[in-house]
Amino acid sequence: MACARVPLDEQQVTEPGPLGKEHTLPALHPARKEERCFVPYKSPPEDGSPAEVEEFLEHAKFITEDLEWLLALPHDKFWCQVVFDESLQKCLDSYLHQAPRGLDLASLPSSPAVADMQRSIHRAVFLTFLRMATHKESKENFITPAVFGEIIYENFLFDIPKILDLCVLFGKGNGQLLHKMIENIFTQQPSYYSDLDETVPTVLQVFDTILNKCGLQCEGATAMEPMKLNAHKQPTAMTMSQQELVDLILYLCDSTTTIHAFLDIFPAACTSFHSHGFLGRLTLFYETAVPDLEKAVRKRNFDDKSLQDDLWKRLSHSCRKMVEMTHLLLNHACLQPILEGGENTMSFAEELLQHFTSFLPEKRFLSDYDEQFPIADDISLLQQALPVIDETRTSYLLQGVESAWDSVGRRKPQSQIHPK
Amino acid sequence: MSPPRLTGALRSFSTVSKKEDFTEQLYDLKSKRLKRRELFAKEGLTWQKIVHFCTEHQDKVKQQAELKSLLHSAKQIVGTDQGQEAIESAAVFLFETFHNKDHVGTEETRAIKQMFGPFPSSAAEASCSSVARLVAPLGDSHVEDFIQTQSSRHNTHRGSSFGRNIAFSYECYTLDPLEDLPYSGLNEEDMNLDF
Repeated sequence: MACARVPLDEQQVTEPGPLGKEHTLPALHPARKEERCFVPYKSPPEDGSPAEVEEFLEHAKFITEDLEWLLALPHDKFWCQVVFDESLQKCLDSYLHQAPRGLDLASLPSSPAVADMQRSIHRAVFLTFLRMATHKESKENFITPAVFGEIIYENFLFDIPKILDLCVLFGKGNGQLLHKMIENIFTQQPSYYSDLDETVPTVLQVFDTILNKCGLQCEGATAMEPMKLNAHKQPTAMTMSQQELVDLILYLCDSTTTIHAFLDIFPAACTSFHSHGFLGRLTLFYETAVPDLEKAVRKRNFDDKSLQDDLWKRLSHSCRKMVEMTHLLLNHACLQPILEGGENTMSFAEELLQHFTSFLPEKRFLSDYDEQFPIADDISLLQQALPVIDETRTSYLLQGVESAWDSVGRRKPQSQIHPK
Repeated sequence: MSPPRLTGALRSFSTVSKKEDFTEQLYDLKSKRLKRRELFAKEGLTWQKIVHFCTEHQDKVKQQAELKSLLHSAKQIVGTDQGQEAIESAAVFLFETFHNKDHVGTEETRAIKQMFGPFPSSAAEASCSSVARLVAPLGDSHVEDFIQTQSSRHNTHRGSSFGRNIAFSYECYTLDPLEDLPYSGLNEEDMNLDF
């Protein structure tokens, strides 16, 4: 047993060696790892035969037993296992990869036994990540914060894709705990902010890829390239194969849900997204891709009408998430600082108005945004906080919003129409 | 196969995560079972202790016949090519599994399969009967106490497991569309009114 009130990274332990002779070694040492052989996770069989179900249950039982054993280990032994057992990390990674999301096409397990087992793994995986994100378990069991930051970063115990997976898998009902976990990870290891900064362009690339697949022009590197002569032959959302359309919408749905979950749980990440001009790219993507994809889902001939219905729901869900993401970003970057009334309130107000103005050409996006988060309400809030705001400008903005509704041929909900 | 995911793209195209081959498997079920057997053998309860416990104040001849029969079933389950140590360890596992059971249920079948892989069901039935006959003259609580005190698995403090008091939610994100597919509008733009 390791000594108390000394951080784990500074503790030494004396215990019997492989030949039975006692030896002293650091508490955090590969020799103290147990050979446990964690097996990787495989998702539940979709319409499983009894044999497939049995195989899943057997596999899953190994994982739950091993993770329960891990969670019951004392603090020092837990960290030896986490840092030095490659099979444990592969097991956890495989869960993040393969675990069914609530939004997957076939997310409901085929039998109650499978569902129960899936729930057990789900909880055990979460608790394992929670313990891995905790540098101080009690007064006696803790790691020096800086060393903890190094351990989790150097050993890839957490990385940005893993954090995003954690948010989308566990965020719905465990948002507060996840917030604390992620906040602690970023606080103890600020390199995660640089990693996040490096990741945002790849996230933006995902949206460009979707535009490209739909045969639509996009901003960024690809837009700078000269158009090929046979460019017109590129498939569009209407002409691509049905499977490609399904994959594209599933991809969009997963991407928007994941980013939204992450920003919602960890709003501090909004700054990184904001600094990469995410808002502009997102609204442009919305305006360009959504009408095309909607048209394809509505007009294409689907033999399976339930698939058509499902795709529509996924697309509409993605739209909601993009609108909510925009609101989260605006809220974090401008609205919140204005309401807090700090020093640069005026410049935040200016930035907010600029964003709203930049939305004016994106009429479809603007009307959808205004439906969820009435711009008039934000303007009114702004006028209350800063009475000096130029009224001509705000009137112009509000007229632009009205005209966006008109040009997309929609009517505002009754609840939003205020008497003049 | 998992559907396309954002985090999959980030792992492939960004430089912030460890590049790993997820198709590569470090351990398969066979090696996992071997490891489980190895760990089980270290849990404290041994064949010698069971023999002593079962024959101490009982009819030795009768009990030894049942113990022999249990060993025989264990050999069929673990594989005839296994050494005496592996067979005895399997017999210990069967004793622990069946000491409070009167038949081979789904849970017991699954537990044996997890430990040894596919096995002849007749051997499981036979071992269950042997264990029942072995423990019958000893009394349930006496057997339970013996196992509890001998096996380290039963001595671990489950209550001290990390996160036992954490309220975990199983809720997950579900589709939250803005609107349903407007069926009334389907294909209406395709209508050509030829005036």
